[in-house]
Amino acid sequence: MVEVKNVSLSINGKYILKDINFEIKKGSFAAIVGPNGAGKTTLLKIITALLKPSSGWVKIDGVEPEKYLRRRRGIVGYLPQKAIVNWNLPLTVLDVVFIQDVKPFGFFRRYSDEMLKLANHWLGVFGIGNKKDELIKNLSGGEQQRVSLVRCMVGKPELLILDEPNTAVDAVYNVRMYEILRKISRELGITIIMVTHDIGVITEFVDEVMCLNVKLHCHGKPSEIDLSRMLNTVYGESFGLLLHREQCKNCMFGVRDDKTSD
Amino acid sequence: MIKLLIDATLVGLFLSVPLSFFSYFIVMRKMTFAGVGIAHATFGGIALGFLLGLNSFVFPLLFCMVSSVFIGYMYKKGGFSEDSIIDVVFVFSMALGIFIFSMAKGYSGNIIGLLFGDILSVSDRDVVYSFFVSSLALLFILYFFSHFHLITFNEDLARINGVKVDFLYYMFWLVLSVLIVFSIKLIGIILVNAFLVLPALVGLNTSKGFKGVIVFGVFSSLLALIGGVLFSYYLNTPTGATIVLLFFLLWLASFAFRFNT
Repeated sequence: MVEVKNVSLSINGKYILKDINFEIKKGSFAAIVGPNGAGKTTLLKIITALLKPSSGWVKIDGVEPEKYLRRRRGIVGYLPQKAIVNWNLPLTVLDVVFIQDVKPFGFFRRYSDEMLKLANHWLGVFGIGNKKDELIKNLSGGEQQRVSLVRCMVGKPELLILDEPNTAVDAVYNVRMYEILRKISRELGITIIMVTHDIGVITEFVDEVMCLNVKLHCHGKPSEIDLSRMLNTVYGESFGLLLHREQCKNCMFGVRDDKTSD
Repeated sequence: MIKLLIDATLVGLFLSVPLSFFSYFIVMRKMTFAGVGIAHATFGGIALGFLLGLNSFVFPLLFCMVSSVFIGYMYKKGGFSEDSIIDVVFVFSMALGIFIFSMAKGYSGNIIGLLFGDILSVSDRDVVYSFFVSSLALLFILYFFSHFHLITFNEDLARINGVKVDFLYYMFWLVLSVLIVFSIKLIGIILVNAFLVLPALVGLNTSKGFKGVIVFGVFSSLLALIGGVLFSYYLNTPTGATIVLLFFLLWLASFAFRFNT
């Protein structure tokens, strides 16, 4: 579904990304982890044709990202970092859900019954079905992120690109959100690439983990990767990692992984 | 005199509707200073036109449009903040205008009129031009309304969804330049910014959704304009200043109906 080959990006001689190679199969749920400034968002922007790499190429479903995006609007559901979204517009939740459905003379538009049905379905899935007529700016940060996920889903995407979707989401709903995303990828066959700092929890839900810090240091199933050792390499220092383990289903935040206690 | 008042009201009516739509996006994108910069660029344009013997609105219009594209280009490509570039254009245009006019012996124009508006300068031709310019500007902003909404929400999202963000960005400022140049005759360079900010602020106080914000913005503009023209006639006060003072009072009054906190 998404193929990234020898992708590098350098600005003024400094590498932001260097020689990135990976392939993500259709319907896979992949997480990219890494420290601040590792190039995670930059990589998402290259995949979505917002940035051009200095070298290398990206293909989605066998074609360049620009061509893929032109197939139809909404084919890629994109959730940008929360901080760069203007939440102060006087828009209702429904207005935001359909904001990317741009049309000439959109000022006069009305939502069809079919659109409302679709919105209601996804608002219900993400637990905000009672909020559709509220102003987006009056919602909490976590609820705003859920509205963004609904916005992505009403576009009937084949690929979801999510840049820190769990920002401002509370710990309980965080787990619920990952469950929903996993269900979306498995049942609807939607490919998901998600940047997150939520290292401890995601291993339980995603199919693939990528450790990025300018270079791609690891890529594989969570069970196949010595994640804690790899993350020490990626983050450049030792730290205690709280992993959500299979045998600790009732532990909200998981347990300390002994391998990282050095 | 009555004819002049009617002409001024008509020009105001035509211009205030599209300006209210632009006001919404300017306030929402926190670019209110841009209106000040573009309006003041007109002063330099008028001075240059005078120097070159061109007294029509064409030269100020061109100067204004070039300035707005320059502001946009330097912001997009130069890595400077919009406010800093607008400030440079603002002071350059004012300095250029004052420099040229101070050297000119034969200038018979009214600089105070340019700065604060001169109702006596509105002609039949202005009424006709204003109608066409306003209609085109309104058509433009209505056609691309949802595009601008998405751009204002998040530019990356707009690009991914096939919106020509840069093209529309420049077009926004170019069309706004034209509106500003035509508005200056009525309310002046300094006061035109009121029509780029106050409609949205009144609308935000009195309405919940974006449609209400814009509709109330349009109504408040019309009320300020018609009321200001009438008051200025009966009180024998400067029209531009009277319109803006009334608009300010409307904004204060709108707090009584405040929905958005």
